[in-house]
Amino acid sequence: MISLSRGNSHHQSFSSLSNITTRTIIQMNDVWASYDGKNYVLKEITLSIIRGTNYAIVGPSGSGKSTLLRLINGMMRPSKGQVKVDYENPNTNNKQFKLAMAKIGYIPQNLGLVRNITVLDNVLIGALPRVGKFKSFFKIFPDNETSEAEKILKLVGLEDKAERKTYMLSGGEKRRVAIARALMQKPVLLLADEIVSELDHVTAREIMDLVVNAKRRFNLTAIMVHHDIKLGLEYADRVAVIKEGQKILELGVEGDKIVDFQTGNISQQEIMELYSES
Amino acid sequence: MNPKSNLIIGLVIAVVVVMSYNLEADPAQFVDGIPNLAIIAKEMTEVEPALFGTAFWSILETIQMAFIGTVVGVAIALPLSMLAARNLNSKFVYAPIRAILAATRTFPSILWAILFVIMVGLGPFAGILAIIMYTVGFIAKLQYESIEAVDSDPVEAVSSIGVSKWQLIRHVIIPESAPHLLSQILYMFDYNVRQTTILGLVGAGGIGFYIINYIKFFEYGKAAVFMLVVLIVVLIIDWISVKIRDKYIIKAQRGMKIAV
Repeated sequence: MISLSRGNSHHQSFSSLSNITTRTIIQMNDVWASYDGKNYVLKEITLSIIRGTNYAIVGPSGSGKSTLLRLINGMMRPSKGQVKVDYENPNTNNKQFKLAMAKIGYIPQNLGLVRNITVLDNVLIGALPRVGKFKSFFKIFPDNETSEAEKILKLVGLEDKAERKTYMLSGGEKRRVAIARALMQKPVLLLADEIVSELDHVTAREIMDLVVNAKRRFNLTAIMVHHDIKLGLEYADRVAVIKEGQKILELGVEGDKIVDFQTGNISQQEIMELYSES
Repeated sequence: MNPKSNLIIGLVIAVVVVMSYNLEADPAQFVDGIPNLAIIAKEMTEVEPALFGTAFWSILETIQMAFIGTVVGVAIALPLSMLAARNLNSKFVYAPIRAILAATRTFPSILWAILFVIMVGLGPFAGILAIIMYTVGFIAKLQYESIEAVDSDPVEAVSSIGVSKWQLIRHVIIPESAPHLLSQILYMFDYNVRQTTILGLVGAGGIGFYIINYIKFFEYGKAAVFMLVVLIVVLIIDWISVKIRDKYIIKAQRGMKIAV
């Protein structure tokens, strides 16, 4: 069994890219999810995500996209069906999974940054699971973690703003901090919830390019939720289209055509219609 | 203004009038008493400049007491506020702590001062203890409320990294509630200086001791010196705390407003 918590999993995910058809990192079988036990926000979701994929989940507001991410990072449990993340059951009460959580970089829609601390301190939060309790209480981070954080800040283009308080940053810069914090976790899986939806076109592209580069560089599997199907098709290998809690399509590019792997019979015409809707 | 709110205002006025009846709160008496005020005011103008030295040293003692009381009180209040926050603890922890904090707040500091004068004798130490008690009750309450009001977004995001509870408190909860803390401490110090001037009334040290004694013996001119010193010092402290607030707190809040 390959555990997410194992230290060398970066390399494992890399080697698995060669036999890409057999290695799935996410497996969902007939998953139903509900917040109140009555209304289901997700219904009959079955999907598998291959290690190293750049996966996108798109759909209108309230379609259940964010819930899908919460099922993967263990913040929520399915009402019915099974979710497996690298052969583990995502469940925050499960000690084994708590270790695995450290390997899931999750960027919520609101980013969840601590506003009153510096950019560097926010990034170092990603290293907390690796730092002892006593040391982290006094904010004593090992030198290798601090230099790693500085390296990642350089990667996201914020090396000049490491000592800046986080609330002083622009929207685009805050997203870079959130990405840096996730990368600081040394993740194998990167989850991002509508990370560019409130940004202007230019900044949105910069952020998406940054994520794609980081994904390639660290051999991650990325699962990104978008409101806009265009973004999904442009940046991802696979795009799951969610509507009213159900996965209606799973699109991918084959040759110069967009194909639907779920039903297999979607016409280019219909795809163009979806395009113009979003 | 709609008829409904007019009715409510009318009702409130009626209740105040009815309640004043058995308390014999008669505005006419107030008007009759105005000449008495003029006598005091005239006597107050006859100040004795020689007393300014004594007044200076006694206000210094008052400020010392307020400062020590505030610092020690805050130091005790902070760990208690962590234990009293509902979002960090189980009911069995926060409920008893909250009950104790509520009890300390029930008595004004002057009652605590009387209790401590009995315990440790007359003097500033009793006053410091009284200030500590009140500060603990007050700051702990303000602080656990701001801990409970901490934005849930970073809490949830950082929890999903798989950090321990203490790491979450140290790296998210404390920094997110800290800006409020500074303004609360400034307010508390401000408040404690004014409280400490009164504590002298029961023999718990500070400038209030002189004020009450001169007033008792109708030496309003001498009392006026001390009151004037209190007024000046309170204004200076107020001015300093406004400066500190502008520098550290207002800036942080503006930053937060921009945060989307």
